[in-house]
Amino acid sequence: MSSTLVARAAFNRNVATALARRSLRPLALQARGAADSAYVPGGPIYRGTVNDPTPFPPPSKTHGSYHWAFERLLSAGLVPLTVAAFATSGTSYPILDGLLGVSLVMHSHIGFDSVVVDYLHPRKFPVLGPIVKWALRATTVGVLVGVYQFNTNDIGLTELIVKAWHA
Amino acid sequence: MYSTRAVGLAPAFRQAALRPRNARNPAIRALFAKRFIQTESLPPSAEIQILNQQRLRRPSSPHFTIYQPQLTWIGSIANRITGAGLSVLLYGYALAYLVAPGTFDSTHVVEFVAGLPEAVKYAGKAILAAPFAYHSLNGLRHLGWDMGKFLTLRGAYASGYAVLAGTAISTVILLFI
Repeated sequence: MSSTLVARAAFNRNVATALARRSLRPLALQARGAADSAYVPGGPIYRGTVNDPTPFPPPSKTHGSYHWAFERLLSAGLVPLTVAAFATSGTSYPILDGLLGVSLVMHSHIGFDSVVVDYLHPRKFPVLGPIVKWALRATTVGVLVGVYQFNTNDIGLTELIVKAWHA
Repeated sequence: MYSTRAVGLAPAFRQAALRPRNARNPAIRALFAKRFIQTESLPPSAEIQILNQQRLRRPSSPHFTIYQPQLTWIGSIANRITGAGLSVLLYGYALAYLVAPGTFDSTHVVEFVAGLPEAVKYAGKAILAAPFAYHSLNGLRHLGWDMGKFLTLRGAYASGYAVLAGTAISTVILLFI
């Protein structure tokens, strides 16, 4: 592992001296963006030297700690919500039923989003990743509408499960 | 002389042609001192391109296919698979009801389930109850990790086995509820 690092460092040093001999690296290229590294199995192929910093996403609480806290609170809240919704009946407490439906859909969406981010990250899949992300968001909107329609015009999710279970 | 290449005499002829005695003779040099290989002239910056092309073609050693099955990662991917499976069912049913409310409303669904044979009903219930129980109990285990519990190897394995036992018991209970 270290030998490849040494080889890569030596190679990059040669490239750097070759480039420096020709011209000064333009300042516009100093910060490496997404176009500067193509991702292949084994690691990114960097254009530039090993001294250029790795790009990180900008820090943001909404995509970081707040998202994490919301996800855990939602998952924890699903436990009493499910127990309450199945202990009472769906028809007598329709708001509870609706709340359970929305929470389940949100929990599923967050789960699917983690799957998309894990297996179709935009860094490695610059076209397919964003397409699947937005397709998931559109599907979740459709599912929310469907759950609303079902809970309003029909008996509701908990009632359906109870009836189908005892059919 | 193309025929010398086929017979294998080209190196010998080339050596002879390059000897000082024959090297000054342009006729001999023109005939035998050549090689018929085309080379490309590339700038030094092409190094990176060639290296990257080689990297793209390199195979990677097996990693995921040879990792020993363990409760930790099998449990983790099972949590994801059960969660994704149940969510696919939820999403599928909600979209189906949205698209065709007449075919997928509750009366039709309950009728369809009532018409199935008993064995199929129990199998279906088990197929739905087991992932739900596993995902719920493993979710609690995950929330425990988030609070800082079970973070040792012993804790992870003990809680993992507890989740498996709880899943088996809960599935049986849900089957006969």
